[in-house]
Amino acid sequence: MRTHIFAFTLSVVICVTAHAELKWEQTAVELHPAPTDKEAVGHFKYQNTGSKPVRFKSVHTSCGCTAAQSQKEEVPPGEKGEITATFKIGDRTGTQVKTVTVQTDDPANVTTVLTLKAVIPQELEINPTFVFWGKGEAPNPKTIVVLAGKDFSVKQLKVASSSPDFQTKVEQTGKDQFKIDVQPRETDKIIAATLTIQPEDSSKIFYATARITNAPAIQ
Amino acid sequence: MRQALILAALALVPGLGQAVYFRDRVSWRSPIPASEMITVTQARAWGGNAIWVDARPDEEFARDHVPGALSLNEDRWNELLPQFLAAWSPEKKIVIYCSSQSCNASREVAHRLRNEAQLPNVFVLKGGWEEWLRNR
Repeated sequence: MRTHIFAFTLSVVICVTAHAELKWEQTAVELHPAPTDKEAVGHFKYQNTGSKPVRFKSVHTSCGCTAAQSQKEEVPPGEKGEITATFKIGDRTGTQVKTVTVQTDDPANVTTVLTLKAVIPQELEINPTFVFWGKGEAPNPKTIVVLAGKDFSVKQLKVASSSPDFQTKVEQTGKDQFKIDVQPRETDKIIAATLTIQPEDSSKIFYATARITNAPAIQ
Repeated sequence: MRQALILAALALVPGLGQAVYFRDRVSWRSPIPASEMITVTQARAWGGNAIWVDARPDEEFARDHVPGALSLNEDRWNELLPQFLAAWSPEKKIVIYCSSQSCNASREVAHRLRNEAQLPNVFVLKGGWEEWLRNR
């Protein structure tokens, strides 16, 4: 029995002494940018709690849309610092998870994966964002359904077509629910239009595309 | 033997705890089924029936890309999507690539084309740009 206790204690002691010198305050950050934000920035703070300096060997991101920067190349014992990860939102929607892989010369903690989660608010859900007709197909209207996203309310919707060749008609089908009927004037030539969809009281513009294709429609 | 099993079981406890705690934080699950992945050889065999889509950032596309590929990334999705749709037709297959296996951009673009634009025949290139370079 004594041997068992000794073996267990020894394994615990080994684990504790092998603890990383670079201690991270958090390795996962969740951000909630505003609908108009262009980027989301996560701060991953650390401290060297060990007795010798820790050197960063590399800092890599999982995506070209995220840039990561470390304040210093070497962290002396006791010093604090942070790695900043800047996620370019662009036209992305929904929940985005990006990682930053940090490699150090600390043998106990060579690789650390930092996770940046950005929950991008989606004001409108548009389905589908593309309607098309085959050349020569009957120019019947096709419907785009628009719903207000979670935590958003839309009372009215402004829709405009970039081309007079496509007509649009907006109808409210319920609370925060709309349908847009899109109809081409004719389908005997290849034409396209960008539809701009904008909730009243919002500066954000959403897009859909209507087009006559050169092949018979499959829908 | 029993000792080893006890130690292994004890080691499993923090592992399981971490797996549950971080279940939504690290994306180790592939959102694209194998049937929607395509190899360079298979995609090339489609010839002119395929539209190649480059999901990498603008700078990487400007540096080099698959000949004839169209740029469609999420940085400028609203601006680039109409240009892509102008080249699309229902009989064409869409082959999307990004810079490496670890990059998720091609999967995200594929997801949006399937779900938002409701386009059929959307495929992600296995191995991405690097694999295409190896087979050039």
